[in-house]
Amino acid sequence: MVLRFRDKVLPDDQTLVMAIVNRTPDSFFDRGRTFGLGAALDRVDQVVEEGAHVVDIGGVKAAPGQEVTAEQELERVLELVELVRERHPDVVISVDTYRSEVADVVCRAGVDLVNDAWGGTDARTAEVAAAHGAGLVCTHAGGLAPRSRPHRVQYDDVVGHVVDTIVGLAERAVEVGVPRESVLIDPGHDFGKNSRHSLEVTRRLGDLVATGWPVLCALSRKDFIGEVLDLPPDDRLEGTLAATAVSAVLGARMFRAHDVAATVRVLRMVDALAGRRELAVGRRGLA
Amino acid sequence: MLVAAAVVPAAPLLVPEVAGGSAPVDEVLRSRAREVVAALLTARPERVVVVGTAPATGPVTGTWDWSGLGVPRAPGRSAGPALPLSLGIGDWLLDDAGWTGTRAHHGLARDASPQGCAELGRSLAAGAVRVALLVCGGGSACRTEKAPGHLDPRAEEFDRRAAQALSDADLTGLRALEPDLAEALLADGRGPWQVLAGAAQGVSWQAELCHDEAPYGVAYLVAHWRAQATGRAPAA
Repeated sequence: MVLRFRDKVLPDDQTLVMAIVNRTPDSFFDRGRTFGLGAALDRVDQVVEEGAHVVDIGGVKAAPGQEVTAEQELERVLELVELVRERHPDVVISVDTYRSEVADVVCRAGVDLVNDAWGGTDARTAEVAAAHGAGLVCTHAGGLAPRSRPHRVQYDDVVGHVVDTIVGLAERAVEVGVPRESVLIDPGHDFGKNSRHSLEVTRRLGDLVATGWPVLCALSRKDFIGEVLDLPPDDRLEGTLAATAVSAVLGARMFRAHDVAATVRVLRMVDALAGRRELAVGRRGLA
Repeated sequence: MLVAAAVVPAAPLLVPEVAGGSAPVDEVLRSRAREVVAALLTARPERVVVVGTAPATGPVTGTWDWSGLGVPRAPGRSAGPALPLSLGIGDWLLDDAGWTGTRAHHGLARDASPQGCAELGRSLAAGAVRVALLVCGGGSACRTEKAPGHLDPRAEEFDRRAAQALSDADLTGLRALEPDLAEALLADGRGPWQVLAGAAQGVSWQAELCHDEAPYGVAYLVAHWRAQATGRAPAA
């Protein structure tokens, strides 16, 4: 199925990359590296150059911490959105927010996709996306409130719970008017899950793919990778790329990534292995 | 009559197969928990009752089962009903200690009132049967910024009060722990400790707090109470 976000149609013959751009002082991996407007813009230029199809701008870190009001969140993301819209008219801009009022303002400024990473905790977000013709990411966060951590969470069947939740959110999004080709589902690795739950979701990603909804995986440098390898976020690149490759083979359509160049290369390789991608250059034994 | 009690946190990482490779800090906690359960059984109980938070208040049957946490059920292990997590931890500790005598499990809703908990405790300890309580629940999960419930400035004092009361067998101190505050701090020990306070009334206790640490921002309190052989104290 072709993915379209407003007037932008994404290629359907390659696995896609959503680049993380945090205007936050405290996110777990970049820890404020792109908090400044100039640094954030440079980051956008760089990830577009590296092959990102979507830039996902966020103003509130996922973990608990200093409260960020809606006004403060907008101060962080709105100006960046406006500047990126101007500099990169063709790139899909996504905003990572759980607040419908923030989604509303940034969509007016040209955002194409609302990444509702806390799983529909604000039921109006889908209506806002629909009203602007924007897309929506429908995420499983296990019913947790935004910015809260899982504590001894249990599931009878974690994959079943994920599928039921995000398919429900996706169907509701379409019902309220979000274009069907603009909806992604995201199992929400580590959100409301322990590491075994995230591994199980990854292992059985085919169950999500089988729903027919395009699957976004946001697994970059997350704790479930860290707990497999017993390594801190700085040392989780290989683990991230391994999980990315396996998930791509299982049919994920898009990956939310910190390490855009490396992720793009891994996915090009997987796409070639899967027969979806031609050689960039074919000379070996052919000259 | 209540002859002894052991207090352990309902932390899944107590169980080696759930924790996977565990840190030395977990090994210490696990050893302390095993020690207090062993001590509990030396009081020659005729019946061990496990209490812990559960979806609803009432007796529960079943066995420990970690499949909800993503750990597959061991081959050959019966697929009976799974106990709520906190009771499962107690059930596992009893198996681990080799207890083959009578055991029962009693769940407590997270919002059970202190008075309801005390009454339940009294009823569990009533009669001539020698009862031991395995109390599964812990302090706050809000001691650091990385804690499951993030940092809450009230957490340390709450945990200090709980630790002191467990250390002194201070029934009034346990009864005074506020349900709303405990809930806000993710302290699942409040209700079970108040059951203990109800069950322990009218007896003199020799109490020991064996462990009081919060390595992941979650307060782990391990304690052991044993009825004094000198006979019954006047009712409080």
